[in-house]
Amino acid sequence: MEHELSPLLETVVIICIVGISISIFILLYRVLKGPTNPDRAVALDTIGINLMALAGLLAIFLVTTQFNDVILLIGILLFIGTIAIAKFLEKGVIIDRDHN
Amino acid sequence: MRTNDLIFRTTTSLIAFILLGFSFYLLLAGHNAPGGGFIGGLMTAAAILLMYMAYGFEAIRKIIPVNFKMVIPTGLFIAVLTGIGSFVFDQPFLSQTYGHFHLPILGDVELATAMIFDLGVYLTVVGVTLTIMLTIANDS
Amino acid sequence: MSNIAVLPILIPLVAGIITIFFHKKIKAVRFFAKLVTLLNLGVAVWIGYYVIQNGTVVLETGDWVAPYGIVMVADRLAIFLVITTNIIATACVFFAQHSLSLKQEQFYFYTFYFLLITGVSGAFLTGDLFNLFVFYEVLLMASYGLVILGGERVQLRESLKYVLLNLFSSMLFVTTVAFLYSVVGTINMAQIAQRVQEVEQTGILTTIGIVLFFVFATKGAIFPLYFWLPKSYIVPNTVVSALFGALLTKVGIYSILRTFTLMFTNDTGVTHELFIWLAALSMLFGVIGALSTNNIKLIIAYNIIPAVGFMLMGIGLLNDAGISGSVYYLIHDMIIKAALFLMVGALAYLAGTSDLTKMKGMIHHYPLLGWMFFIGSLVLAGIPPFSGFIGKLLLLRGGIEEERFVIVVIGLLTSLLILLSMMRIFMRGFWGEKPDIKVQPKQARKLMMPAVFLLTLSIILGIGAEWFYPHVDTITTELLDQGSYIDSVLKE
Repeated sequence: MEHELSPLLETVVIICIVGISISIFILLYRVLKGPTNPDRAVALDTIGINLMALAGLLAIFLVTTQFNDVILLIGILLFIGTIAIAKFLEKGVIIDRDHN
Repeated sequence: MRTNDLIFRTTTSLIAFILLGFSFYLLLAGHNAPGGGFIGGLMTAAAILLMYMAYGFEAIRKIIPVNFKMVIPTGLFIAVLTGIGSFVFDQPFLSQTYGHFHLPILGDVELATAMIFDLGVYLTVVGVTLTIMLTIANDS
Repeated sequence: MSNIAVLPILIPLVAGIITIFFHKKIKAVRFFAKLVTLLNLGVAVWIGYYVIQNGTVVLETGDWVAPYGIVMVADRLAIFLVITTNIIATACVFFAQHSLSLKQEQFYFYTFYFLLITGVSGAFLTGDLFNLFVFYEVLLMASYGLVILGGERVQLRESLKYVLLNLFSSMLFVTTVAFLYSVVGTINMAQIAQRVQEVEQTGILTTIGIVLFFVFATKGAIFPLYFWLPKSYIVPNTVVSALFGALLTKVGIYSILRTFTLMFTNDTGVTHELFIWLAALSMLFGVIGALSTNNIKLIIAYNIIPAVGFMLMGIGLLNDAGISGSVYYLIHDMIIKAALFLMVGALAYLAGTSDLTKMKGMIHHYPLLGWMFFIGSLVLAGIPPFSGFIGKLLLLRGGIEEERFVIVVIGLLTSLLILLSMMRIFMRGFWGEKPDIKVQPKQARKLMMPAVFLLTLSIILGIGAEWFYPHVDTITTELLDQGSYIDSVLKE
């Protein structure tokens, strides 16, 4: 907390946060409406990426490094979630009962 | 159409190790920084789940021959034992203490008894998460 | 020494965890469960003795000083209720193996049972409002496990209602605690009590108090939030019904008793007035429900509601006689409800049906059960010299002192109707011509032993009131004098 944020950076970060929040809402519409399931899967994945960006921006805004783990965590859970959905869409089963 | 998961399996063997390492880091960092037993356990469960998804149920059961249902009480037991430990030293229940130890390679390390409690939480979370996941996945 | 306050929580918790490890070896688990329950009862009695001798035991967990850390407060009220809980637990653990199927027992019954005891004891002993929520969750989790034990269709339907309602009220509970924290800035019960007197925001505190009351009323099955109770209490196994009927609603009542004698006494004109009216309505609607059905288990389950009404009436009166009546009635009702649930379960098992119209003349085959049930009914209805009478006498005296004659009349009327509803079981189920059913005297004896144990205690509680009443009196003095609780926790 030693460094103060410069006014320019602060404005930029706030604009970015607002923009990303709006895009999350639009993606939420895609998740709910999305004509097919792959659409929903992609939208969910993108929401997660936006969340990571949001956490990163908050870390800049609050001048802290404590959020780095959080960003990594969201990324990992997102990765696994997306893989699970993708596998379900492709094969109809997430964990194969027996391996050939 | 027959699909194969060659890319998925190759990346999994790499990523699962990174995940396990990261989860262990989270468990150890938990005492003074974001992290701890809960999120560490969740990460470990995620890594194991990834392996399950890539290699199927039977293969992983051979590799990790652990009954995850029994991991739950083990973790709970460890967590409760740290509380009971305070009876032995005549301190109020759940008291914790820490000290600095000089370990080979690592140098000066701060070790806290809260760590053992976190280990209990870690095992419980791994057990619960995997039990739920595998029950749902096998339910058809 | 302050560590002893956590023992009644810790022992069942550890036992519950250990039973998971060998849950398939049912004989070992049974023996272990009985042993630990008896040990826990012994420890609870010992702590009770210690508290009577040395005053309230306060444990500051983790050596964090009172308002900042979580405290466990074993005062007389809490420890008496813990002892009663353990008495019921003892009776139920000896009943369990005769009532449950092997599959149900193996499906972690003893684990859930121990966790339920953990949660109930914890809720009685904690001195922290958020911690109270945590223990509520512990006992609710265990109760979810117990209510679906067996997994029949009707059980799943009723338990869904039960789970949803409890989830909603838990949500409300946390929200209310957050509101309270934003007003008084603490969740330590003693410090809340202290600050409520200082903060001059009566309106918002009364609102929070009433929301909190509705949370506890949902768990305690007070009018108008009792609709979920009777059906979801009779679908599980008898031993589970007995545990639920004796313990769960009483935890709700205990919470009301604690919060509304310790913390929210700032606006008694609104809150405690409300209690008296809700008490009257609970009594009437509960007893009407009990009279409306022919299912013997349902009759007993409905009889929980007027009992809850009686206890709430005492809290609403908030005078010496009223509070001691409530405390006395609380302990009395826990024991007799467990006994009646066990007896009715035994009766339904022996008769092969729980429908009164299909039952007759059971007393010819099982005279002991019949007469025990008769005494149990008298105890429940409050006929002298049994324990129900003393509780009701104190409550009615409290009512007359406050000149609230309506509630007194309703109370008396309800007692009569309770007796009527119980006598219906006795007359239709036990009287009449000899039925031609298979007689199982050996099984009957096993089923009755726990109920005999509880009924004996209940009778002792009534006849030995001379010995018991001074303690209730001290509890009342402690409850009505908030300073003593605050001082013992915050040590000022």
